[in-house]
Amino acid sequence: MPQRIRVTSPQTRLALLRRTDARRSLGRLSGRGTVPSTAIDLAAAERAMRRQRRQAVRTVVALGITLTVLMIGANLAPGRWGWAVLFFAPYPFLLALAFVHVRRAERIEADS
Amino acid sequence: MLGLVSISLVLAVSVIIGLWGVRAARSTPDFLVASRRIVPGWNAMAIAGEYVSAASVLGLAGLLVKNGVGAMWYAVGFTAGYVLVAALVAGPMRRSGAYTVPDFAEYRLGSPRIRRMCGLVVVVIMLLYLIPQFKAAGVVLELVSGIPYWVGVVGSGLVVASSIAVGGMRSATYVQAFHYLLKLAFIAGPALFLIFLAGPERREAAVNPIGSTADWARPLLDLDGSGHPVLATISVLVATTLGAMGLPHVVMRFHTVAGARAARRVAVSVIVLLGLFYLFPVVYGLLGRVVAPRHEETDVVTVLVPGQIVPGAVGAVLMALVAAGAFAAFMSTSSGLLLALAGGLSHDLFGGSLPRLRLGIVVGTGLAVALALPSANVDINVLVGWAFAVAASTFCPLLTLGIWWRGLTATGATVGLLVGAGASTGAALSSAIADIEPGIASVLLAQPALWTVPLAFLTMAGFSRPGSVPDWADESVLRLHMPGRYSTEAQSARARDSV
Repeated sequence: MPQRIRVTSPQTRLALLRRTDARRSLGRLSGRGTVPSTAIDLAAAERAMRRQRRQAVRTVVALGITLTVLMIGANLAPGRWGWAVLFFAPYPFLLALAFVHVRRAERIEADS
Repeated sequence: MLGLVSISLVLAVSVIIGLWGVRAARSTPDFLVASRRIVPGWNAMAIAGEYVSAASVLGLAGLLVKNGVGAMWYAVGFTAGYVLVAALVAGPMRRSGAYTVPDFAEYRLGSPRIRRMCGLVVVVIMLLYLIPQFKAAGVVLELVSGIPYWVGVVGSGLVVASSIAVGGMRSATYVQAFHYLLKLAFIAGPALFLIFLAGPERREAAVNPIGSTADWARPLLDLDGSGHPVLATISVLVATTLGAMGLPHVVMRFHTVAGARAARRVAVSVIVLLGLFYLFPVVYGLLGRVVAPRHEETDVVTVLVPGQIVPGAVGAVLMALVAAGAFAAFMSTSSGLLLALAGGLSHDLFGGSLPRLRLGIVVGTGLAVALALPSANVDINVLVGWAFAVAASTFCPLLTLGIWWRGLTATGATVGLLVGAGASTGAALSSAIADIEPGIASVLLAQPALWTVPLAFLTMAGFSRPGSVPDWADESVLRLHMPGRYSTEAQSARARDSV
């Protein structure tokens, strides 16, 4: 006899999965888990996280500076051309910021 | 009439794609495994498809005509938020294995109470975000078919709620991706035509706003002549940029990505898609100022422009396309928001089951429709701005501190959420109800993010006593940043494979 399979919608399956996921992680973290917590190299993890955090702070500061410069630039633009600065300038800069961040974050992960 | 036909077509096609998606998913036992292999490009398009709402399609152009080119800062902030998503949340959030913000809070802080608290905040943010979507549907339907505003709002509520019930709208990534392409085609295509058809004189007038007041051409957002445009602009930027990373329905989407690396890359792709899209509402706004400056409802200017530039059949067709694009924006965003709202109501607040989820959708739609009826005169972008301000003052600090600082405790997070949500919604409500004299106070109430975000960060950190950090907090934070097989990412992938 073939095994019976319960057919549910993807949403239902996700909803059911959510609960087991959360429980599992929580159970593990409060020490009732299956893998002993010594399994991760805490010192290495600590170093990796600090490097990631420094990189994240750098990106956030860079974003703040970018937006400030944009605001000043748009307001200094001659006469009625302020809109053109806001139309053309922001998106390439935002993309570059995110792109550089992701590359650096991946490099940190490769190192650790 | 043509507008109504095109809107119905959009509706029919999305329901068909949705149903097809559900069938494809049901016939594939490893749907969930497969979903993690979805190409990042599709995922990014799905995020952009859900994110580009009526605020982007209609609200931006409307505010541009009404208040000036400073309205473009909204688009900049909506996009800049994804730099923060890539830098701060996408990767670690994916590794946590959490599906929603309340899930994450329970994983990180180990308290069911914080889950309920988060569920409540989800409901508030989603409602604030839904009201302008229904307003948009109401005014567009009124314009293209002449039916009264309230009929359009109630009808749209029925359509969205029943289309979710059929399972068609959110069932698959490609419905959302389809909506991004649809919006881009129906907004960008006519825009290019209109630039061409407008003729040299009107083009010249649009890019070079002669005769308009100096205030209109100044690239800052002022609130009713408060006299503090720089302050108002910075506060809007803080709300939109930080709010984008705290939006519950966006965070949810990163769950279907293959892993932390892919999640970050998806966030970068979203910036490309948004940057491309946001060029076009500006076109409608600049043209609209020239050809339809005096319409009493500026939020429909995007739909009005085609008819004003090209009279006759061509104009009617272009207008029908734009109206369909606007309605697609309403459909995709509002169904995503409604599902997140219903999830918050049923799963996090009342401990859910599927019937409860359905009930949550009905209740959520009812609330949003009821609140949209008296909001006909509030600008779409103002309401959406408030939703972002609340997200920036609640989930932004919760996620940032939860991911990057192990000292955060359940008590600190709870107090911080209460203070952030209370201050930001309180300020927005009082600026909507009370009549405050224009000045610094009116700016800080109407655009509260500038002070409510730091306040929420400080309370969360201040109420997290160092003594009460549980011993597993260290590991729960480090896990979020560890690539490899001990991360919860790999663990939940294994759990999913065995489903």
